[in-house]
Amino acid sequence: MSLRYLLQRLGTLLLVLFGVSILTFSIMPLVPGSPARVTLGVQATDASVAALEHQMGLDRPLVTQYWTWVTGIVLHGDFGDSLISGKPITEQVRHRLPATLILAFAALLIGLIIAIPSGIVSALRPGSARDLGVSLMSQIGVSIPDFWLGILLILVFAQYLHWLPSSGYAPISEGLGAYLKHILLPAATAGVISGSIMARFVRSAMMEVLGNDYVRTARAKGLDPRRVIGKHVLRNAAITIVTIVGLQMATLLSSIVVVEIIFAWPGLGSMALNATLQRDYPVLQASVLLFATSFAVINLLTDLSYVLLDPSVEYA
Amino acid sequence: MKRLTLTLGLLAMLAAASLGLAQKSGGTLIAAWAQDPVSLDPQVTSAYSSFQVLENVLDTLVALDQQDKIVPSLASSWESSADGLTWTFHLRHDVKFSNGRPMTAQDVVYTYDRMLDPKTGSGNAYLLAGVKKVTAPDDYTVQFRLGAPNVALLGHLAVNKSVGIIAKESVENGTIKTQPIGTGPFMISDFEPGQKVVLKKNPYYWKQGLPYLNEVDIQIIKDESVRQTALLSGDIDWAISVPPQSLDQLRNAQGVVVDKTTAGAYWYIGVNLRNQYLKNPKVREAINYAINRKDITTAMTFGTGEPTQDPIPSSSAWAYNYAPYSYDPAKAKQLLAEAGYPDGFRMMIMPTTQYPESVRGAQVIQQELGQVGIKVTIKTLEWAQWLQEEGKGNYDTYVCSWNGLVDPDDYFYAQQKTGEVFNFTGYSNPKVDKLLSEGRRTQGFDQRKAIYQQVNKMVVDDAPYIYLYNPANINAYRSYVKGYAARPDQAVNFSQTWLDK
Repeated sequence: MSLRYLLQRLGTLLLVLFGVSILTFSIMPLVPGSPARVTLGVQATDASVAALEHQMGLDRPLVTQYWTWVTGIVLHGDFGDSLISGKPITEQVRHRLPATLILAFAALLIGLIIAIPSGIVSALRPGSARDLGVSLMSQIGVSIPDFWLGILLILVFAQYLHWLPSSGYAPISEGLGAYLKHILLPAATAGVISGSIMARFVRSAMMEVLGNDYVRTARAKGLDPRRVIGKHVLRNAAITIVTIVGLQMATLLSSIVVVEIIFAWPGLGSMALNATLQRDYPVLQASVLLFATSFAVINLLTDLSYVLLDPSVEYA
Repeated sequence: MKRLTLTLGLLAMLAAASLGLAQKSGGTLIAAWAQDPVSLDPQVTSAYSSFQVLENVLDTLVALDQQDKIVPSLASSWESSADGLTWTFHLRHDVKFSNGRPMTAQDVVYTYDRMLDPKTGSGNAYLLAGVKKVTAPDDYTVQFRLGAPNVALLGHLAVNKSVGIIAKESVENGTIKTQPIGTGPFMISDFEPGQKVVLKKNPYYWKQGLPYLNEVDIQIIKDESVRQTALLSGDIDWAISVPPQSLDQLRNAQGVVVDKTTAGAYWYIGVNLRNQYLKNPKVREAINYAINRKDITTAMTFGTGEPTQDPIPSSSAWAYNYAPYSYDPAKAKQLLAEAGYPDGFRMMIMPTTQYPESVRGAQVIQQELGQVGIKVTIKTLEWAQWLQEEGKGNYDTYVCSWNGLVDPDDYFYAQQKTGEVFNFTGYSNPKVDKLLSEGRRTQGFDQRKAIYQQVNKMVVDDAPYIYLYNPANINAYRSYVKGYAARPDQAVNFSQTWLDK
């Protein structure tokens, strides 16, 4: 992999982010409703709306607003202040970005723990009872809405069994135990659903490789079946699986928005939703930009990981 | 009668016994809010979720007790001049802000000057209607000069924390939206929008020995079933509201108290009087006969609200309980025919997802009006868009509520007087206007009650608003939470709350 390739990809990333920022900035004023009206509620008069919009700087030309915003980010790493609460956005992002990333990572981990073994098991004996069982379970997992599963898990594990807290977040400073207890239910909600989807892809990727001649040869020469699966099949199915995982991350991130709301998880997703409902433009722009960046970075990492998995792949 | 006396005696003894309980100081109350506080600048926001936080942070000159009576707070006494144009308030001498600085009359003047300044963009400035100037003759005296007498001013200075006294430091250093400084029992130590507000005990609080709690952690839990579960499992101590459909389950649950009181609030259908059909009084009368308020209330509140035809709840001293209509679809059809629409007409109703009950209500209304030939389209909008459409008059009818109302002036003036700030329906009745001004000039409960009785009747008869029900204010908490009571003005006040555990 050449340095030039990497720089090229990073350049594309910046262009994409620029496009995303222009898009969000120009769509925003077209959406009915304004942060001034949300702040004032039912007691808004035209005069008070105008006074607040002036304070918020919304009566300036859009280009001026965009310029202030972009230069703030580029020169000072500053996303500006929330129009509604007046809090600096950068400070909020500093708390919320890690919370979302960790939740996404934990959910992905749970998803993989579900997907890989069950995908392998059903690929080995297509049509068997085990295969049907896995198919059924993954069909259920795919069909369940995330908000429903979240509430179900809360009812069972928090209300009836009292094993886990119903919602919220414990910082790592409160101890690893409390931290893990709080993350388990939200991560499981997002993880079970994305695991069910990934299980099907793992199954088909495995089956495709299993049908190859070299697998039959390996089996024919009496190689330990575990070695055949681990060394030959899984390794060759890995590229497909990694692609799926990369794509799944996008679905996972959107599912995490819902999960964060249900579990009152202080991440970027709940921040983005709040900002949308309150028309808090700069907060929404920051969240969209961060989500777009995460997605683009995941894509890049997916592409780069092909090199590690398959030495014959090379980027120039 | 004898039994009643006996019961009352027992109740009095119980009350005395509970008063005798030794309050324990200290501890943290974990409370759950349903909505995110929208800006904590008291003068700009109109969100109840913000006022319910600020209730514990700011004080007003006068306050409302549990029965909505006006009692002294930062002002120990007050009087109005004979012509009603000057109000004088005498302030306590022992009040400090939570940053330790003594509060004086200058702070009161600063607070209300800022509120009246158009540049502030205060949505609550209407509460000071008629006030021309606020001055401080000395450090502990404040005078309000009015252009016209307004008896309701005293009530407005107590109605909620939008009129709370703020320290100018928090405006000058730009933290008014997140950490307004006040003289209340608690101060804001942390505010994470969409997540939590942390209140710490104000060490300089002027009421001796209060508050009992060291800290209140307010968490924002938007999903009502999650909030209920958190309360049942003990993850939170106190919940601002619980799903009305699970009240029975909560009442039967061990260790949970459901605290319910009728709120000084009403839900209504707002009618756009500029609409070609709805401007006809006979059509509005027909709608009043076509809807079944009992069914609507059941759908919207699961039976916790009180169906009503006029705005003031029957628990208030100002109640009239005027109810000229009945559920009578045949009569509604006849009225529509008289109005010239025997086959009905088409109209739109606008509920908002912010208040799911408004969507449920709109569905019942749609079905009931359909039976008399009015074909209703439901246009459900999310909050920001709803506010815009309502504010600009882009609707035929909408479903919403007014909250935190005490004086009859609160129930009518700003909503029903011609051209007033919250008159979104375009209603105009010169007789009502005249009476509403008279109500502000008139002293004495009985005299005022007679005036507003006429207003009440005319507004119900003219029907710019079609009143539906008075909601209940329902808080739920763990039984070890003591010294808290749900209030009709929906304020949430933890100043005397303590934990018995």
